[in-house]
Amino acid sequence: MDRQKSNKGRNDEMKQASALEIGLRDLFVIFFRAGLAFGGGLGILAVLEDEFVAKRKAFTHDEFLAMYGIGRIVPSGTMTALAVAFGQRFGGFLGTVVALSGLVLPALILTILLTLAYQLVQGTGAFTAVEVTILPAALAFIVVAAFRLGKEILRLSPELLLAAGAFVGLFFFKINPALLLLAGGLAGAIVLACTEKGGKDK
Amino acid sequence: MSLLALTAIIFYFNLITFGNGPVMIPLLQQRLVDQAHVLTFDQLLYAFAIGRVTPGQANVYVTAIGYFLFGLPGALLATAAIQLPGYAMLPLVHLHERFRQVAHVRRFIRGLTATSVGLILAATVGIGRETLTTVSAVVVFGLTFIMGYVLKWNPILSIAIATAIGLALYYLTS
Repeated sequence: MDRQKSNKGRNDEMKQASALEIGLRDLFVIFFRAGLAFGGGLGILAVLEDEFVAKRKAFTHDEFLAMYGIGRIVPSGTMTALAVAFGQRFGGFLGTVVALSGLVLPALILTILLTLAYQLVQGTGAFTAVEVTILPAALAFIVVAAFRLGKEILRLSPELLLAAGAFVGLFFFKINPALLLLAGGLAGAIVLACTEKGGKDK
Repeated sequence: MSLLALTAIIFYFNLITFGNGPVMIPLLQQRLVDQAHVLTFDQLLYAFAIGRVTPGQANVYVTAIGYFLFGLPGALLATAAIQLPGYAMLPLVHLHERFRQVAHVRRFIRGLTATSVGLILAATVGIGRETLTTVSAVVVFGLTFIMGYVLKWNPILSIAIATAIGLALYYLTS
């Protein structure tokens, strides 16, 4: 486990990179640090790249990016998928539990404390302050998130039709949003496959 | 609603939205606020705000929903439920070299994303009618949107400034 200390030049370093081991304790520390990062997924990604690629050279930059690419098609948060992949690589199943725990612990603790604070204020006069401040701000955050997601598709495209259809379906017809979501995904898989035949996409 | 049912709902919503926090809002609103009446609009919005101002993954706001409904066990199970689908990573890592379906999955996600945008906006119009009922609420909403989308300031700074202005307005006008 102390092999990583020697520094004999590029080739050696690469060989050691693949053999590098990271203990459970370190794994927890790395992911706990990542879980403390602000800025959502990209903030976490920056910490992970720093720890695994820059500092420990456990992966090359390309390997790391490939992992990220696969993580994006996993039906969970992408950082959750990375924690599972890196946890498994360095600590087997126990490693995945350790990595995931480290990743969510900071947010988990703070979230519980802030929820407690809400429950303490609820029903008192001070709650009005929450109603005119934090709640409208939260609504704005949601709209911002929708606009950021939509930045790519807010032009004439099949995707814009999907977005408009989903809006109408939920807002006017109260169709189950989970159903709309799955239908939209399937429609995307079929329709976009046809429109991409033009060959601009890679 | 039982703790198990809530966990199952969160697991399912997280799975079909690919872990995207904002996209879960319309789903959670319809199921927990409109249908089951176990959560209020206010609690849902507050939970989302928490997710934006705490470090880590933004979809961990479902932890707050678990806590609202069932206390600590709810918080822990909700958190576990959104981490579990991450294990799909393991077979994908092994298969990805000859995983030719990736293009289909990618298009599925693009369709999903487009649909999400419509769903989120529809939900926010509905929630907005309940929430934006005072002048200060509308001002806070507008300011936070500008700071977040146009100026791209970080959420903590945006919410702090908007909150201060909103409070001042509220006490001046009432």
